[in-house]
Amino acid sequence: MFKNKKSGALGVFITIIILILLVILTNTDNSNLSYFENVASTLVAPVQNGLIYLKNKINGNNTFFTNINELKKENESLKLKNNELEQSLRELENIKTENATLKEYLNLTQKYGDYSTIPGYVINRDISNYSKTIVINIGKKDGVAENMTVIANEGLVGHIISVTENTAKVQTIVDSGSSVSSLMSTSRDSIVCKGTLEENSILKAMYIPTEAQIIQGDSIETSGIGGIYPKGIHIGTIKKVVSTENVIDRYAVIETAVNFEKLETVLVINNQ
Amino acid sequence: MKKLIINLLIILIFFLIYFLQINFFSWFRISGVMPNIFVILVLFIALFGGTILGTTYGIAFGILIDLFIGKKVGITAIMLGSIGLLGGQFDKNFSKDSRITTMVMVIASTIIYEVGIYIINNIVFSANIEAIYFFKILFVEIIYNTLITIIIYPIMQKNGYAIERVYKGNKILTRYF
Repeated sequence: MFKNKKSGALGVFITIIILILLVILTNTDNSNLSYFENVASTLVAPVQNGLIYLKNKINGNNTFFTNINELKKENESLKLKNNELEQSLRELENIKTENATLKEYLNLTQKYGDYSTIPGYVINRDISNYSKTIVINIGKKDGVAENMTVIANEGLVGHIISVTENTAKVQTIVDSGSSVSSLMSTSRDSIVCKGTLEENSILKAMYIPTEAQIIQGDSIETSGIGGIYPKGIHIGTIKKVVSTENVIDRYAVIETAVNFEKLETVLVINNQ
Repeated sequence: MKKLIINLLIILIFFLIYFLQINFFSWFRISGVMPNIFVILVLFIALFGGTILGTTYGIAFGILIDLFIGKKVGITAIMLGSIGLLGGQFDKNFSKDSRITTMVMVIASTIIYEVGIYIINNIVFSANIEAIYFFKILFVEIIYNTLITIIIYPIMQKNGYAIERVYKGNKILTRYF
C-alpha cells in the first residue's frame, strides 16, 4: 500500500495520532465536555421531542376506527370496573395507613419510600447495535446529576453517565459495558450481573461463589456494593443456570424485570 | 457558492438520517439489528468528494453522534474518520461506476467500522468479548447495509458525480490514463 517514503510516513503519523487520541479518550471524563453536549442537545432536542410526539401518536392511533357500539359497551363495563376499583382503593387506603404505622414500629421506613425520585421520559435510544444507552428528557435543571440511579416501575434501568441542562444519558444495565453488583434474594450470595449483546433483556451473572446454591426463578436485587446503585432494587429473575466443566466458570442467565424495548417512563433516584 | 450548497445539503442529510435512525429504524429491525447509514454516508462523501472532505465530515459527524448519544466522545469520530480515509483510498483504486464494487466497498467499510468500534469499546469499558453474538449482529448489519446500498445506488451515483464535478473539476479523467 505504501508506494513511497512519503505515504509511509503519513501512515505512521496517522497511527500515532489515533493512538494519542485513544489514550486521551480513555483518561478523561466527559464532565468538561458537557458544554458542547449542551449545545448539541439544545440543537436536536426540539425536533426530537416533536418526532417522539408524532411517533407516539402513530403508535397509539390503531384503535381510531373502532365501532361506537363497542365503545359504549366498553364504557359500561369500565364504569362498573371503576366502581369496584374505587371500593378496593378505599380498602387499600386503610391498609396503607395500617402498614405505615406497622413499618414505623419496625423501623423499615428507611428502605423504599424514602427515595425521592424525579420522573422522566425516554426520548432517544442508541443508534448502534452494540451499545444500549438511552437519553431521557430531564437534566441538570430538574436536579439530575451524574451517577444517579435510574429505575422503572418494574425494577432497575441503569445509571446516569452524563447530564446537560435538559437531558441526561443513561447507561442501561443491559449495555455490554455495564456490570452491577447484586445478590440472589434467597441465598444472599453476591454475584455480578453483566450486560450482553445477546438480547435486550438478558444479563449474565458471573463470579458465582463455588459453594452457592442457584435456584431457577430466584429474584436478583442490587447489593449496594460499588456505590452507584442503592441496596435492594429488583433487577430480574434467574432464567437458567449454565454449568461448565470448571465450577468457577459457571454462570447464570438473568431475565431483566424491565422490558427495555418498551421502556418509556423512568424514575431517577435523587440520592444527593 | 456551489460548494456551500453542497455542504449545507450534506449536513441536512446527516440530520435527516440521524432522526430517521433514532426514531423510525427501530421499527424496521431485522432480527433486532438496525442498519448503519452513517457509514454509507461518510463513504459516499469520501468517494465522490475526496479524502479530505470525507475524513473531515467523518470526524465531525462522529463527534456529533458521540455528543448526542455516545458513552464517550471520540470513539465514533475516530472510526468514521477512518472510513473517510478509506473511502479516499477506494476512490483512487476502484471504479464507482459498478454497483457491485460499491457494494463491496460498503461491506468492507461496515466491517472495519464495527470491528473498530467494538474493539475500542471493549478496551475502554472492559466488557466481555462475545464473538458469536458480535459476528451475528455484524453479519445481519452487513446484509442490511448492502440492501440499502442497492436501493439508493442510483441516487448516490447521480448526486455523487455532481459533487465530484464541483470538487475535482477536470482532474477526474486524468487518473484513468
